[in-house]
Amino acid sequence: MTAALTAEGLHTYYGKSHILQGVSLAVAEGRITALLGRNGAGKTTTLRSLMGLTPARQGKITIFGEDTTRWPTFRIAAQGVGYVPEGRRIFANLSVEENLKVPLERGGPWTIERIFKLFPRLEERKLNRGRQLSGGEQEMLSIARALLINPRLLILDEPSQGLAPLVVREVFRIIQQMKAEGISILLVEQNARMSLEIADDAYVLDDGMIVYSGGAQELAADEARVRSLAGASAEEWTLA
Amino acid sequence: MTLLLLFNITNGLIVGAFYVLMALGLSLILNLSNVINFAHGGFLVIGGYIAYAISPYVGFWGALLLAPPLTAVIGLVVERVLIRPLYGRDPLYSLLLTFGLAFMIEDLTRFIFGPQGKPFAIPAFLAQPLSNELFFITGYRLFMVAMVFVAIALLFVLLRYTRLGIRIRAGTLDLETVAALGINVRLLRSLNFAVGIFLAGLSGVLAAGQLGLEPTMGTGLLMPSFIAIIVGGIGSLPGTLVGGLLIGVASGVTAVFFPAASEAVIYVLMAVILLTRPRGLFGEEGMMG
Ligand SMILES: Nc1ncnc2c1ncn2[C@@H]1O[C@H](COP(=O)(O)OP(=O)(O)O)[C@@H](O)[C@H]1O
Ligand SMILES: [Mg+2]
Repeated sequence: MTAALTAEGLHTYYGKSHILQGVSLAVAEGRITALLGRNGAGKTTTLRSLMGLTPARQGKITIFGEDTTRWPTFRIAAQGVGYVPEGRRIFANLSVEENLKVPLERGGPWTIERIFKLFPRLEERKLNRGRQLSGGEQEMLSIARALLINPRLLILDEPSQGLAPLVVREVFRIIQQMKAEGISILLVEQNARMSLEIADDAYVLDDGMIVYSGGAQELAADEARVRSLAGASAEEWTLA
Repeated sequence: MTLLLLFNITNGLIVGAFYVLMALGLSLILNLSNVINFAHGGFLVIGGYIAYAISPYVGFWGALLLAPPLTAVIGLVVERVLIRPLYGRDPLYSLLLTFGLAFMIEDLTRFIFGPQGKPFAIPAFLAQPLSNELFFITGYRLFMVAMVFVAIALLFVLLRYTRLGIRIRAGTLDLETVAALGINVRLLRSLNFAVGIFLAGLSGVLAAGQLGLEPTMGTGLLMPSFIAIIVGGIGSLPGTLVGGLLIGVASGVTAVFFPAASEAVIYVLMAVILLTRPRGLFGEEGMMG
């Protein structure tokens, strides 16, 4: 089994606060890896370190065999890493269509036409500004944007945050579809139960340290553990 | 009286068009790179003197065509060597740097071309007034205004319809996310800087044809251009357009009634607008639609 991404011993700081304290993880090629943990555990910081947005002070990151540890963000993304940031971060003043023209045009199957087939709603709203979209539409746009660089690895930070249950299911369905397309996926979620249902591998992060790594099924089977490690919100969400 | 008023409104519009051209470049650079480019007037001077230096060989039209891109190339080098290392630091650093650069450019121009003004010849047919009645409207003045509006239209097309322009606009909203989408944001900032400096270079050539050349010719345009940005609303390019024309006309009209206040009125206008709309005229709307 080859790895799309490996991180070894990441130490990341915001100023003087030491947030990640030796995080190691791997995303296997063609699989979905879930990274869980309660609020403030350091999940977003981990993803930002992987993307070079908040570079780790120590440790090593390898993406598709390249040592990307010191690379600038744009170069990491241009390797074929799609990033769906926390809070979606769509360009609020740009139209939907313009949002879709920002990503680097890496060759591959994804084009704006194909995106519009997958997300008909975005085509209907292509002339609307980003800020006029609903939360669900913004999430779709953020995912669409990441797909347009034709990623080999897709990194998503809490894509279900703040969405209605029906829309959450749609988002998870799309993530599974991307796996079927052969894209490796690293999924950060608060919604532990649902992510474990679609994930192959799982990690749990607590206070900047990995406290579980193993199969997603095994973790899902351990009720008490899911509840205590992944935080209270694990309770609220189940695949209804 | 009406003629005098018309004369000054025309003057104000022409001066305002220059404010707009300068302010748009300043705005582009400020919005994407958080650099307050005090050397912008210096690049206007560079554009003017390049046109002066090459016009014996390539003529007026050749100079008009070549001087702005050559100025932009100098801008690219300055950005790469001097300004890029300061990105991400306190904006005070780049402000001090460009402030110093403005003096250096002025002194260097004086050193190379001498302190006296230089004439810059324009084609004879452009120098003619349109009629005896409207003696102040020369073909060249109309030409200048037309050029300014062509430049603004091209800038609009660039920002609205090309991927480069869309990425520049996205970058002014959230540069980090643009980088995370695989875009080389260093290159993006360089190209954006070059576009801004191109506009300064164009202003230089056009101004040279009207007023001749002087090493200090950029200084007077800089403050009003900043004020045009503030009046229009920082971050809004249509605001910059309206702001520049507005303060140009305001100072032109004031020149009729209180000549002494024609410069002060710009500041008064800014104060009044900021008191009623603290974010400027178009501040709430954000970037151009
Ligand atoms: N920009 C920042 N500056 C300082 N501290 C931060 C910043 N962002 C996050 N933190 C802190 O880092 C810790 C981890 O945050 P984060 O990675 O966002 O957690 P998660 O995504 O798991 O909720 C938290 O204690 C948070 O307060
Ligand atoms: Mg987070």
